[in-house]
Amino acid sequence: MSKAGIKSNKMLNATMGLKNIMGRHFLAIEQAYRDGKPTAWATSGSPVEMLYAMDVQPMLPENSATVSAAQKYSQNFIEIAEEEGFSYDLCSYFKTNVGAVKSNADMIKGGTRKPTFMLSTDVICDTHVNWFQVQAERFNVPHFTIDVPHVVSNTNQRQYNYFKKYVTVQLYEFLDFMQEVTGHEYNEERSREITKNSWDLSMVWQDIYELRKVVPCPISTRDTFGGLFPLFTMPGLKEPIRLYKKMYKEAKLRVDNGIGALEQEKFRLMFEGIPFWYNLKFFGTLERWGAIIVYEPYTYAFSKYMNPNVTKEMVLNQPIEAMAELMLSFWYIYDFETRVKKFEETVRDWKIDGVLLHNNMSCRPNSCGLYDLKRKLMDDADIPCLIIDADMNDPRKLNETQVTNQIESFIEILRQRKKK
Amino acid sequence: MKKIGIFDSGVETPEEIILAAGLIPYRLFGDPTIEPDKANEHIPPTHCIWTRNLLEQAIKGFDKDIIGIIGAHGCDRTNREFDIWIECLTIDFMFFLNSPRKRDESALRFFIDDMKELIIQLEEHFNVKITPEKISESIKKMNVIRKLLKEISEFRKKMILKGSEFHALVKLAQQQNKDEVINILQSKLKELKTKEPFPEKNVKKVLLTGSDIDDTEFIKHLEDLGFHIIIDDLGVGTKYFWNTVDENEEPIMALAKYHLNKPIYSTKFPSYERFEVIKNLAEIYNVDGIINIAQKFCEPILYDHPYMNKKFKELEIPYLFVEVTYNRESYNQLSTRFSAFAEII
Repeated sequence: MSKAGIKSNKMLNATMGLKNIMGRHFLAIEQAYRDGKPTAWATSGSPVEMLYAMDVQPMLPENSATVSAAQKYSQNFIEIAEEEGFSYDLCSYFKTNVGAVKSNADMIKGGTRKPTFMLSTDVICDTHVNWFQVQAERFNVPHFTIDVPHVVSNTNQRQYNYFKKYVTVQLYEFLDFMQEVTGHEYNEERSREITKNSWDLSMVWQDIYELRKVVPCPISTRDTFGGLFPLFTMPGLKEPIRLYKKMYKEAKLRVDNGIGALEQEKFRLMFEGIPFWYNLKFFGTLERWGAIIVYEPYTYAFSKYMNPNVTKEMVLNQPIEAMAELMLSFWYIYDFETRVKKFEETVRDWKIDGVLLHNNMSCRPNSCGLYDLKRKLMDDADIPCLIIDADMNDPRKLNETQVTNQIESFIEILRQRKKK
Repeated sequence: MKKIGIFDSGVETPEEIILAAGLIPYRLFGDPTIEPDKANEHIPPTHCIWTRNLLEQAIKGFDKDIIGIIGAHGCDRTNREFDIWIECLTIDFMFFLNSPRKRDESALRFFIDDMKELIIQLEEHFNVKITPEKISESIKKMNVIRKLLKEISEFRKKMILKGSEFHALVKLAQQQNKDEVINILQSKLKELKTKEPFPEKNVKKVLLTGSDIDDTEFIKHLEDLGFHIIIDDLGVGTKYFWNTVDENEEPIMALAKYHLNKPIYSTKFPSYERFEVIKNLAEIYNVDGIINIAQKFCEPILYDHPYMNKKFKELEIPYLFVEVTYNRESYNQLSTRFSAFAEII
C-alpha cells in the first residue's frame, strides 16, 4: 500500500472495465446478426471508422485470434489450419482464424462468424489480403481490398502526393462498394460523429501514454496490451472513450502521488512487436528484476492520429483524405530511416534504459529491419537492445526458459550500466 | 553499357523505360551455390531465402556496370527489404517502383504516375532524356523478344526443346543487351526448326509453377527424374512474354495496361485468378501433372497452395506441391517426392 491508499504493482481498476467493453462489442455483433444488419470483417490498419459510419458492424479476426491465444486455444486452431495444408511458416493469427472458423468456435474462444463482406488492406502486410481472400472464398462473400503503396526511406513528397491520391480514390470506391452491398447511404453527419469519437479516443490514449513518461511509470502492459482492444474494434464509439478517460484519471492520480505500477521501478524498457498473447504473464515476470515496459510501438501506433499534418479540423472536414494520409503514415509501417529516428526520440522522451525487440516469426514485415534497428540503436545512440525470437500466437515457437535467461542477462547489462 | 539491377519477385518492372534511358535492364537472380552469411546479419533466417541470397550478392558487390537498382513492389519481402538495401549498398540510384497490387482503373492511373516518377528520377540522376519516341522504340524491341520467346517456347511442346534450355534463354533475355538477345533468339529459332523431336517414352509432361524459380539446375534436376517442363507459369518463363505491349497506344499507358493485364502472379490481387491461368495452360498443353514449387518462406505461394490443391483435385489434374530450400544440395533430398509423383502420373 502506498500514499493515499493507491496500490502499485496492479492493473488499474479502470482497466477491469475492459471486460464490459469487450462484452458490449460481442453483444453488438450478436445483435447485428439478430437484426439482419450488415457485418464486415476488417483487418487491422483498415478504416474501421468507415464501417461504423455506414452502419456496418465490424469484426476484427486478429483480435479474435488474440482471444483464442489468451484462452489457450490458438495452438489447436493453428494445427487444424496446418492439417489443411497451410504451412508451419505462415502467420499464426491467420491460422488461428482458419482453425477457429473450421471448428465453429464461439466468440469467447475467438470464433468469427460469416460476415456480409470483408475489408482488407496491405498497409501492414500481404498476409491480410491473402487471409481474407482465403476466407472470402470459403464463405462466398464479397471482399474489398485497399492497396496502399509502400513508403520507403527515399520516397519523396511528389511520390507521397500521388500515393495519397491513389488511397483516397480507393476509399471513395470502398464507400460505393458498401452502398452497393448493404444498400446503406453515406451519411455525412454520422461520419463526422464517428470520426470525432475516433479522434477523441485516440487523444485520450495518447494522453495516457504521456503519463508513461513519468518516473515511476504509472501503467504497465497489464493495462496497455488489453487496453488496445477498443482502438482496433471500436474507433468511433463513445463507450471506450469513457473507459480510457477513467484509465487516464486513475493513472494521473498515481502520477500525482508518485506511485508507479511497480513498487520499485529500476529499469524502464521498450517492447517492439506484438506480445505473446498465449503467455501474457511472461511480461509480468520482468517485475522480478524491477523492470517495467513503459512503451510499446504496437499499442501506441494504433492511436492512429499521430501525423502532425493531420489536424482535428482535417479529420472532421475531410475524413476520407485524412484517412488516406493516416494510412500512409502509420507508426507500425514506418520506413527504416523514420523508424530509427522515432525509436531514438521515444527512448529519450520515455527515459528508456533498454529495448526488447520481438523477432516475431509470424510477422515478417514487422521483424524485417530489426537487426539493423538494433545495430543503429546500439552503435549510434548507445541504447542496449535484445532480440527475442518467438511468435505472437503460436506457443510452439516460444522457448520460455531460453528467453527468460536472455532477459536476465540483459537486465544484468542494464544494471552494470546504471552503476557507471 | 551500364546496367540497372532489378530486384523483383515477379516481372513487374517496365524494362522499356530503362532501355529508353540508354541503360540495360538487368534482373537480379540468386546464386544457390552461396550461403547468405552477410545477409543473415540484416534479415532473420526465417525470411525468404531467395531475397537474402540477392542481398548477400549486393553486399559483396555487384558487377561495377550496375549503377542503379530498381526494387519492385511484389511481396512483403521486396517491399520491406528495399530499405535494408538502401542501408547496405553504396549505389546512388535506388528507386522503389510501387507496381500496384490491384489491376483496376485506379491502379492503372496510379501505375502511370509511378512510371512517370521513375522517368523523372532516371532523367535527373543520369542526365538523360527519356522521350515517348524512345519508349515506343523500346516497346517494339521488347515485343520482338516476347514474340520470339513465345515461338521458341512452343518447341517445348513439340518435344524439341528441353525446359531447362528454354529457362536459360529466358534468364539470358532478362539480363543481356536486348539487341544481342534478339540475335541469340533468332539463331536459336532457326536451329530449332531443323531439329527432330526427342523420344517421348516415359517422359512426364508437366506444368511448372510457384515461386519464381531462377536456378536452371533445378529444372535439369527435374528432367533427370523423367519430367519435361512442357509449359510454365513463371516470371522466368511465360509471364515474361505471354502478352505483348500495344504499339499503337500512348507508350506509358500501354506499358501500364500490359503489366496489369498479363497473366496474374501470386503477389497480385486476387491471386486466386492464377489458378485460372494455370488451369488454362494445363488444358491447352494437355499436361500429365502440375508441379508447384514454393521457395522456403515464400508466403504468396504458401497462402495459395491449399486452394490450388483443392481446385486441381476437383479437376482430377495431378498436382504436387513442394517447398524447396535455395541450395542445390537440397534438390537431391527431394528426389523421392518427385519420383513418386512421376510414378503416379
